[in-house]
Amino acid sequence: MTEALALATRGLIKRYGRTLALDGLDLAVPSGTVYGFLGPNGAGKTTTLRILTGLIHADAGAVELLGEPFGRGRRRRLFQVGALIESPSFYPFLSGRENLRAVAATGAPTARGRVDELLATVGLAERARDRVSTYSLGMKQRLGIAAALLSDPRLLLLDEPANGLDPAGIVGMRDTLRGLAAAGKTVLVSSHILGEVQQLADMVGIIAHGKLVTQGPVNTLLASSGGVRLRVEPADVTRAVELLDATGGTGAAVALDNAEGGWIRVRFDPMRAAELNRSLAQAGIFASRVEVGTDLESLFLELTSGGTADDATRRAGQPGARW
Amino acid sequence: MRVFRSGLRKLVRRPASWVSLGLLLALLALVFLAVGASARQLESQEGSGNALLLVTFPDAYELVLGFILGLGGLLALLYAAAIAGSEWTWGTLKSAVARGEGRSTYMIGTFASVAVVVGVALLVAYGFGLVAAVLGATLAGVSTAGLNDSATLGSLPEALARAWVALIEQAAIGFAVATITRSQIAGIGVGIALYFGEQFGGLFIGDIVKWFPFNAANAAVVFGPTVSSNGQAVPTLEPNIALLVVVAWLAGALVVASLITERAEISG
Repeated sequence: MTEALALATRGLIKRYGRTLALDGLDLAVPSGTVYGFLGPNGAGKTTTLRILTGLIHADAGAVELLGEPFGRGRRRRLFQVGALIESPSFYPFLSGRENLRAVAATGAPTARGRVDELLATVGLAERARDRVSTYSLGMKQRLGIAAALLSDPRLLLLDEPANGLDPAGIVGMRDTLRGLAAAGKTVLVSSHILGEVQQLADMVGIIAHGKLVTQGPVNTLLASSGGVRLRVEPADVTRAVELLDATGGTGAAVALDNAEGGWIRVRFDPMRAAELNRSLAQAGIFASRVEVGTDLESLFLELTSGGTADDATRRAGQPGARW
Repeated sequence: MRVFRSGLRKLVRRPASWVSLGLLLALLALVFLAVGASARQLESQEGSGNALLLVTFPDAYELVLGFILGLGGLLALLYAAAIAGSEWTWGTLKSAVARGEGRSTYMIGTFASVAVVVGVALLVAYGFGLVAAVLGATLAGVSTAGLNDSATLGSLPEALARAWVALIEQAAIGFAVATITRSQIAGIGVGIALYFGEQFGGLFIGDIVKWFPFNAANAAVVFGPTVSSNGQAVPTLEPNIALLVVVAWLAGALVVASLITERAEISG
């Protein structure tokens, strides 16, 4: 772990009774980046964020915040961290401004005038004197983001920050977070809105079953995940992989191990997908499906469920399927 | 100190603070004015002398305080339980901890603000109760000459100080119970059960229950043996012993609340 990393975890383990929530999680979040922290429900994202903010303690492993170890007895490391964990928490009988002042009375000292400055930043200046109980979900979320920014933190941990925000609010949040990263601060965003993360994040880490599945710059991950997916008859997969390797380069084609079978991923320029299809057709293998390009959602589903976006969609539609 | 000052500001804005005080004042007014207004009917009934004592000075000084301690103790318990429980229910403790605030510091600072508010409420309610007793005496045609009784006035500061300690001890019990249950509603429910359970238990095992928090709180302020409704003496602790017991319960409740908060896995 080095100071170039704003946040690092090593071998993080957390159990809830017999359930293993984190299974040796290793995260590395470089300073000054926006890091998308992705994973399906129950993957361990919120557990990780709770450990990173001292709300719960890991059973094993190490955490380093801003270059220094963090754990029991080191709560002051959080003075330089801002966090919005799960839903924002406020006193319903206090106004937005009074709530921020109450939050500012805890933890790191807050600069004078910071509360009003942040209320303006998140677009709540006009409602600052209204009770929080009259706020919409999106307004509470914006107030939560303002609370996380109170102590001008070097590291910001946000759990589903776009939750409840309208499109204008999402754009505003994105601009604010990008601005913070440009100012050298580090932002970790846990989100289910993958399109939003793809636009916002420099790096992503994908977690499943308490383990990190992959981590790296968004563009690199998308490029390395291959640009074209084809589906052929399962019996033709082996021969098709050889043919596609010949066209795309050795090791370019990989048979995907998913429920339906027959899917092959080829690391290849999506604009030249027809060349791959032609090489198969000339050998008498006809692809029933050709999909080009990889977005974060496809990569996410591929890594966390072992199939494509279509696979997941189809599984969700089956009787007994769950979210 | 920041947590304490912030806690005070929050409590001033909290509807429960005003509702609790309003309820206590309303009942004080109701009881003392009702006694005064119905004095003529009471005169014709057996035991009317005891009722009129409520509005007869200097005895009224002690009886007003006793009334506040009885009802106010329960209100203080529920009020503190609501405050501690809401920190868990609303997730505001989570926000403070995630900002690096010390868990015990936060809970003790919050309780300190509750103790100050309870003290202010005690003074307001006592002043209000005395005015109600004077009005009741006027309505009943009872002399208020005892208002200037120097011996009673001289003992008032100590009695009020003891009452404050007794009230915040009961508040601390509610605070600890809500911290253990991590819920506003559960804290209030369990607090009520403990309060009435102890009163009920006193009827059967008085020698044991006199050491319990609510009985000890009453004994720390009220001088001499109290009398139950069936006329049998209920065992009570000597006031100075009771005060020590009350302080021990207060400290114990706060230690429990701190330890529970320190060790808790905070979610939600």
